[in-house]
Amino acid sequence: MKKKFVVGGLVILGALGYLVYAGLTQSAVYFVTPSELAAGPVPGKAYRLGGLVAPGTLEWHPRTLDLRFALTDGKSTVPVRHRGTPPDLFAEGRGAVVEGAWTAEGYFRAQQIFAKHSEEYQAPPSEAHRAGYEELLRTLRGEPR
Amino acid sequence: MIPELGQGTLFVALGLAVLGTGLAVAGGRTGRTALVESAQHAALGVFALLTAAFVLLVYAFLTFDFSVRYVAHNTNLGTPFWYRITGVWGALEGSLVLWAWMLALYTVVVAARHRERARVFHPWVLATLLGVLAFFVSVMTLAAPPFTRLAPVPADGRGLNPLLEDTGMITHPVALYLGFTGFTVPFAYAVAALVTGRLGDDWIQLTRRWTLTAWYFLSLGLLIGGWWSYHVLGWGGYWAWDPVENAAFMPWLTGTAFLHSIMIQERRRMLKLWNLALVILTFSLTLFGTFLTRSGVIASVHAFTQGAVGAFFLGFLALVVLLSLGLLAWRWDALRAQGELDSVVSRESAFLLNNLLLVGATFTVFFGTIFPLLSEALRGVKVSVGAPFFNQVNVPLFLGLIFLMGVGPLIAWRRASLDNLRRNFLGPVAAGVVAAAVFHRLGAGSALAVLALALTVFVAATIALDIGRATRARLRMGERLPAAVLGLLVRHHRRYGGFIVHLGVLLVAVGVTGSQAWSVQTEATLERGQAAELAGYRFRFDRLDAAEASNHFKVIATFSVSNGRSTGAMHPAKKFYPQETTPIAAVDYRTGLVEDVYLVLGDFARDGSRATVKIQVNRLVTWIWIGGAVLTLGTALALLPERRKAA
Amino acid sequence: MSRLLRWLVPLAAVPVLALLAYAFRLDPREVPSPLLGRPAPAFALTAFDGRPLSLAEHRGRVVVVNFWASWCFPACYEEAPVLEEGWRRWQEQGVTVVGINIQDTEDRARKFLADFGLTFPNAPDPGGRVSIEYGVYGVPETFFIDRRGYIRHKHVGAVTEAVFREQVERLAREPAPPAAGT
Repeated sequence: MKKKFVVGGLVILGALGYLVYAGLTQSAVYFVTPSELAAGPVPGKAYRLGGLVAPGTLEWHPRTLDLRFALTDGKSTVPVRHRGTPPDLFAEGRGAVVEGAWTAEGYFRAQQIFAKHSEEYQAPPSEAHRAGYEELLRTLRGEPR
Repeated sequence: MIPELGQGTLFVALGLAVLGTGLAVAGGRTGRTALVESAQHAALGVFALLTAAFVLLVYAFLTFDFSVRYVAHNTNLGTPFWYRITGVWGALEGSLVLWAWMLALYTVVVAARHRERARVFHPWVLATLLGVLAFFVSVMTLAAPPFTRLAPVPADGRGLNPLLEDTGMITHPVALYLGFTGFTVPFAYAVAALVTGRLGDDWIQLTRRWTLTAWYFLSLGLLIGGWWSYHVLGWGGYWAWDPVENAAFMPWLTGTAFLHSIMIQERRRMLKLWNLALVILTFSLTLFGTFLTRSGVIASVHAFTQGAVGAFFLGFLALVVLLSLGLLAWRWDALRAQGELDSVVSRESAFLLNNLLLVGATFTVFFGTIFPLLSEALRGVKVSVGAPFFNQVNVPLFLGLIFLMGVGPLIAWRRASLDNLRRNFLGPVAAGVVAAAVFHRLGAGSALAVLALALTVFVAATIALDIGRATRARLRMGERLPAAVLGLLVRHHRRYGGFIVHLGVLLVAVGVTGSQAWSVQTEATLERGQAAELAGYRFRFDRLDAAEASNHFKVIATFSVSNGRSTGAMHPAKKFYPQETTPIAAVDYRTGLVEDVYLVLGDFARDGSRATVKIQVNRLVTWIWIGGAVLTLGTALALLPERRKAA
Repeated sequence: MSRLLRWLVPLAAVPVLALLAYAFRLDPREVPSPLLGRPAPAFALTAFDGRPLSLAEHRGRVVVVNFWASWCFPACYEEAPVLEEGWRRWQEQGVTVVGINIQDTEDRARKFLADFGLTFPNAPDPGGRVSIEYGVYGVPETFFIDRRGYIRHKHVGAVTEAVFREQVERLAREPAPPAAGT
C-alpha cells in the first residue's frame, strides 16, 4: 500500500516539476539594455527593453494609434513601435521599459509599455503645475484666456 | 508634541511586549499561573498603548499635523475627510501600525476567551503571539517609525497617492491584514502543541473558527483587491500575477489546504504532520508577503520603499521558519498517523490530493515569483516572469481542485465502493458531460473553457444531489419544504456552510473562465460625433468637459453608448492631481450579469475635438463578485455557534 | 524517518532564506549601466554662477556627478544636504561634487540651490544632452568617477551619507594618474 502512494506522489511531483520547467523556459522574458539588444537581437525572442525615451524621436498618430519612439542608454539607440495610447507617465526624456520582440524589419515591436514610476518622481504642489492645469481647464471649457 | 508622544508610546509598548513574551515563556516552563497572568496583563497593556498610538496617528491626520513626517507625506490640505482617516494605513509606517494593532486585538481576545480551556497551551500561545507582536512593534520603533518629526514644518503636505482615494482601497488592506494577522493564532497554537507535546486534536479544535475567519478575510481581501484593480487601475483586469499579489495568494492557497486537511485529522487522526507543516507554512508565507512588499527586493506596482525594514523582516522570517521547523523535526516521532490510508478512492485520499495540488500551486507561484532573483543570482541574467507562466502552470492545477471540490464532500471514507461511487457521482458526471456537449455546441470556443464549465456543472450537481437527498429525507419525515431546508442548513451548518462556500468559489471560477475566454477589446481615436463599434455596442464620442474638485482637476469625456435597444451615456475621465506629474485615469463602466462595458480615456485634444478611448466588453466578470458575496454567506453559516457545547 | 534525516526539514529552508538575503544586495531598479568601468562622457557646461564647468578640469580628482531637479521630492531634497556636507568634508582630499540640473526651469533650480545653501558647482543641462550621454533614466542619479576619469559606481535614488562615504573613501585612496602633458 505504502509504495503505491509514494510512487503516485513522485509522479505528481515529477509532472509538476516538468510543468514549471516548461512554463519558465517558454515564458521567461529577458531584460536587456539598448546596447545589449543592439549587440545581437534575436527576432521573435521576448525581451524587456529599458532605456530613456530619446528626445526628438517620439511620434504619436492618434488616428492610426501608431506610436513610434526610440529608446537609448547613452550608447545605443533602438527604434520601437507600439499600437495604442502611450501610458500616462510616458514622455521624451523619461525612462520607460517595453516588453515585446525584435522584428525582422529592424525595429522593436512593443506589446506593452511600462513607464517608470517611483517615489522620486513626485513634484511638490507647485504654482507652475497649478497654472498649467488651470489653463487646460479654461481651454476645454472654451473660456476666453 | 505628537511625534514625541507617539514614539514614546511605541517604545513602552515594545518594552511591554518583550517583557510579556518573557513572562509567558517563564510561565510555560515553570507552570506558575501568576506569571502567565502577568503576561496577559502585559498583552492588555500593549493593546491599550497601540490603540493610543493609532488614535494619535488618526488625530494627526485629521488635524493636518504636518510636524509628523508621515502625515506630511500622505495627506495635504485638500484631502477629503474619509481619506484622511484611511490614508493612515496608505503607506508603510501606518500599515505596520494597523497590522500590529490587529495582532494586539487578537491577542487580547485569545487571552480573554481561552482562559479556561486548554491551560497547558495558554502560556505558549501567549508567548508566540506576544513575540510576534514584539517584532512588529520593534520594526515600528527602530526601522520605520511612523512618528518621525519633520522640521521645518511644511505649509502643506504631499497628499495621498491618488490611486488610494477609492473605497476599495479603504477596505482591501483592512480585510487582508485581518486575514494575515488572523493566521497568527492557529500558528501560535501549533507552536504550543509542539512545545507541550500535545499533538492530538486539541490545538485544532481550539483554532478551527479562527482559521476559518482568517481564511475568509484573506479571501475577501484578495477579491476586493481584484475588484479595485478592475475598477480603478484602468487596465480592465483583476489579477496580474504581480509579485505582491502572489505574496497574498500563497498563504491563501496553503491556508485553504490547512482548512480542509484538519478535517481529516479530526475524523481519522491522520495528516498530523501535514497540518502542522501547513499552518507553519501559511504563517511564514504571510511574513514573506510583508517582506516582499516592504523590502524593495522585487520591483512591483505595490511595493513600498525599502530600507532597514526589509532586513528586519527577513531576519524574523528566518527565525520563525527555522524555529518552527526545528520544533517540528524535534517532535517528528510523535506525529505518526493513527490511521492508515486504505484506498486511493476515498475521502482521505481526495483530501490528500487536495493538499498536494494546493501546495503544488503554492510552489509554482513561489518559484515564479523568486525566479528573477534566482536567475540573477545564479546566472547573472535578469529576467521577468509574467502572467503567461502562472496561467500555464496553474490552470491545470485549479481545474483539478475544482474537480476535487465535487468529489471530496461526497466520496466515502476509508474505501469507496463501486456502489457508493455510482450513487454519488453517476448523475453529476453525466450532467458534466452533457454540459460539455452543450457548451461546445453553443460555440464556447477553447477546450479549456468548455472543460472548466463542465467541471463547474459537475460540482454544482454534486451539491444539488446532496442537498436534494437530505431534504427529501426530511420531507419524508413530515417536515415542510422551507423548514426542511433551513433546518438542514442550521443543523449541519459546518457541512452546508462549506457547500455554500464551494458554490461561491464555483461562481468565481465561472466569472474567471468567462472573462478570460470571451472578453474583447479595442482602441480608437474618435472625432466629435464619430463612433466606434464593438460586440454589438456603438460608442459615439460627444464632447469633453472639465471640472474641479477639492484636490484635483478632472477632464471628463462623454460617450453615447447604445446596443440597439437602449442608449446611455458613459463618462471616462482623467484626474489631474497637482502633486502628481501625470494624470490618473478614472474609468467608467456599466456592469451586468452577462457582460461589462468598460471605457478608459487615453489621449485627448486640448480643444476637445478628439479623444482616444480604450473599449472593453468583458464577459461574466460580475460573477466573480457575486461569488464573493456567496462565499461570505457560506462562511457566516459555517461560523454559527455550535448548538451543543463540545465536551 | 531516521533521527538525523528529519532535520533536513528545517535545513531545507536555509538555501531559500539565503537566496532572499542575497537578493537584498541586488537593486531591482538598477538596470546595469553599460557605462560602468568606462570613461565618463566629457561635458562642458556653464554653471549657474556663470563660470564654465567641465569634467576635464577635474581630472586627477574624484568627481561625484549628481543629476537632480527641483521638482524631485522627496529624494533630491533628502540628498542635497548629504552632498553639500560631503563636498565640504572631502574637497581637501581631492574630491569634487558637481550637480547637473535637468528637466527644470532656471528660477526654480536657483531657488533650490539657495534654499539648501549648496556651494559646489551646479549647472543646467540645456537639451538634456549630458543626461542622455550618461543614460540617466530619472532623478536623482549619481555617478562616482575615479581620478582617471572612469565611472566606477552609479547610484539611483537619494544618496545617503553611508553610500557617499563608502564610494568616496575607496576612490580617494587610489593614486592620481601622472599629470600627462597638459
